[in-house]
Amino acid sequence: MKITKQTKNKLWLLLIGAFVFVIFIFPLYWMIVTALKTQVEIFQIPTPMWPHQLTFEAFQKQLSESSDTLRGFRNSLIISVGAMAISTLLSIPAAYGLARFRFKGKKIIILLFLITQMLPSTLVLTSLYIMFSGMKLLNNYWAPILADATLGIPFSVIILRTYFLSIPKELDEAAKIDGCGHITAFLKIMLPIAKPGIVVAAVFSFVYAWGDLIYGITFITNPNMRPITSSIYNYVQQYQTLWNSTMAFGIIAISPVVLIFIFMQKYIVSGLTNGAVKA
Amino acid sequence: MKENIKKKSAAYLGIAFSLPALIYMMVFIGYPMVQNFILSFKNVDVYTFARPENQSFVGLQNYTALFTDANSILPKAILNTVIFTVASIFFQFIIGFGLALLFNKKFPGCSFFRGVTMISWLLPVTVAGLLFKFMFQLNGGIVNQFLTSAHILNQPIEWLLNGKSAMIAIVTANIWIGIPFNMMLILTGLTTIPEEIYESAGLDGANKLQTLFMITIPMIKPAIMSVLTLGFVYTFKVFDLVWVMTKGGPVNATELVSTYAYRLSFEEFKFSSGAAAANVLFLILLFVGFFYIRTIDDSEVM
Repeated sequence: MKITKQTKNKLWLLLIGAFVFVIFIFPLYWMIVTALKTQVEIFQIPTPMWPHQLTFEAFQKQLSESSDTLRGFRNSLIISVGAMAISTLLSIPAAYGLARFRFKGKKIIILLFLITQMLPSTLVLTSLYIMFSGMKLLNNYWAPILADATLGIPFSVIILRTYFLSIPKELDEAAKIDGCGHITAFLKIMLPIAKPGIVVAAVFSFVYAWGDLIYGITFITNPNMRPITSSIYNYVQQYQTLWNSTMAFGIIAISPVVLIFIFMQKYIVSGLTNGAVKA
Repeated sequence: MKENIKKKSAAYLGIAFSLPALIYMMVFIGYPMVQNFILSFKNVDVYTFARPENQSFVGLQNYTALFTDANSILPKAILNTVIFTVASIFFQFIIGFGLALLFNKKFPGCSFFRGVTMISWLLPVTVAGLLFKFMFQLNGGIVNQFLTSAHILNQPIEWLLNGKSAMIAIVTANIWIGIPFNMMLILTGLTTIPEEIYESAGLDGANKLQTLFMITIPMIKPAIMSVLTLGFVYTFKVFDLVWVMTKGGPVNATELVSTYAYRLSFEEFKFSSGAAAANVLFLILLFVGFFYIRTIDDSEVM
C-alpha cells in the first residue's frame, strides 16, 4: 500500500496538533494530578509526573461539611444565577429594540454598550462601594449580584442583537398581518426562535459572574457569604503550601464552567466570535 | 400622515424596549463613573469617609501627587502595565495566529484540539492564576523542574520573589489565558478568505511564506486590528490574575495601574487617590478604544 502525499501531510498535521494540544493543556493536567497527590509527593525532587500514591484526601477535605468550598460554591451559585437573571431579562428586550426598530440615538446606544465592555472594574469599584455602603448592601448578596450583572449585559445585548438581526424580518411582518402587535410578535414569535441566542447570552452572563473576583472580595467580607473565587483566594493566603487541597478547591471552583463548556462548546465558540468581532 | 405616526410609535417602542437595560447600566456604571470622576477631585480617605462635612474639593492635587510624589508608584505602574500588555499581546498574537493557521487545516482530531484549547479562556482567572502561582513555586514548582532538567537553568529560582522573573511569570500565565481569544478571532477571519485565491496564488507559483504575507495577512487585516486593539484593552485592565499571583509584588515590580488603584482605595483607604488612578487607567483605555471604534465603524458592523 502506498501512502499518498496527502495522507502523509495529514499525519504530520495530526502530530503537530497533538503536540500543541499536550503542551497547552498541561496546566490543567497538572492541576488534576496535584489534587490527587500527597503533599510529600508534591514536594519530592523531582516531583513525579503522575501520582504514585493516588489519594482523594484533598477532595474529601474540601467537600467535608466544615470546609469553605461548598459554602463558597453555594454563594457563587446564588450570586451568578441572580446576575444571570437580571442580565438576561434586561438584555433580551434591549437587543430586540436595537435590532428591529429605527430611532435616533440608536447607534450611540449600541456604542455605549460596546464601550462598557471595555471598562475596567476598578473605575466604578470605589463609587459602587460607597453607593452600596450607603444602601446598606455590603455583605449582602445583592451587592455582587447587581455589580456582576453589568458584566453580562453589554455582551448579551450585542450578541443577542446579532441574533435578532439574523432572523428574517418577514417573520415579524407575518405575525403583524395575523393581528399581533409588536409586543405579542416579540413574545410569541421572536423569543422562541431566539432561544439558542438567549441560552448563549445567559451562559456567558453566568460564567462572567462566576469568574468575578474584584466585586466579590470588595463587597463581601463576611467569610460565610464569600463567592468561591474569593474563598479560594483567601484559602491560599491562609494555607500557603497546601497545594493538593488548593488544587482540589480549584477543580471544584471551575467545575460548573467546565461542564458548561463540555455541553455547549459549539454555542460558546460562536458566541465569543460574534460578541467580540461583529459587535 | 398615518404612516408617519406609525413610524414614530415604532421608534418609541424601540426606545422602550432598550430602556430598562440602558437605565440599569446608567445606574450601576454611568453614575459610578461620574461619582468616581468627582471623587478624584476631593480628599476622601479613611478619615473623611464617614464625615462628609470634612470632605472638600482639592482640584488636581490627587493627580499631581500621583505623578510627582516620591511615594507614588503610578509612573512605575504605568510602565509595568505597558510591559505586561505588550509582552502578553506579542506572544498571544503570534502563538494564536500560528494555532489559527494550524487549525484552519482539516486533519483528524482538529476540531477536538481546537475546541479544548478554548477552555483556558473561560476558566475563572482566579483559579488559573493560582495554578500558575503553584507551577512557578520554588518548592514543588514544575517550571523549575522542567527548566533545570532541560539545563536551561542551573538551579531552581524563586520566580515570584524576584522582580523580573515575577513579571515573566504573570505574562506567561496571561498568554496562556489569552491565546484562545486570539486564535478564535483570527480563525474566523481566515474562514472568510475564499479558497480560489489560494489556488490562483499556487498557480502563480507563490510559495507558502509569500502567500502568508501577500494574501492571508492583508485579507484578514480587520480581524487582526480588532484582535490587537481588543487584546490591548482587555490586557491593560487585568486585575485578578496579578492580584492572585503576586499582589503587585515583589516591591511593586508587578504593580499594574489596576492593582495600584485597588490598593490605594481598599488597602490604604485613600479613596480619592484610588479614584484618580482608576481615571488615568480609563483615559489610556479610552485613547486605544477610540481607535478600535474607528476601525469597527468602517466595517459593516452597525
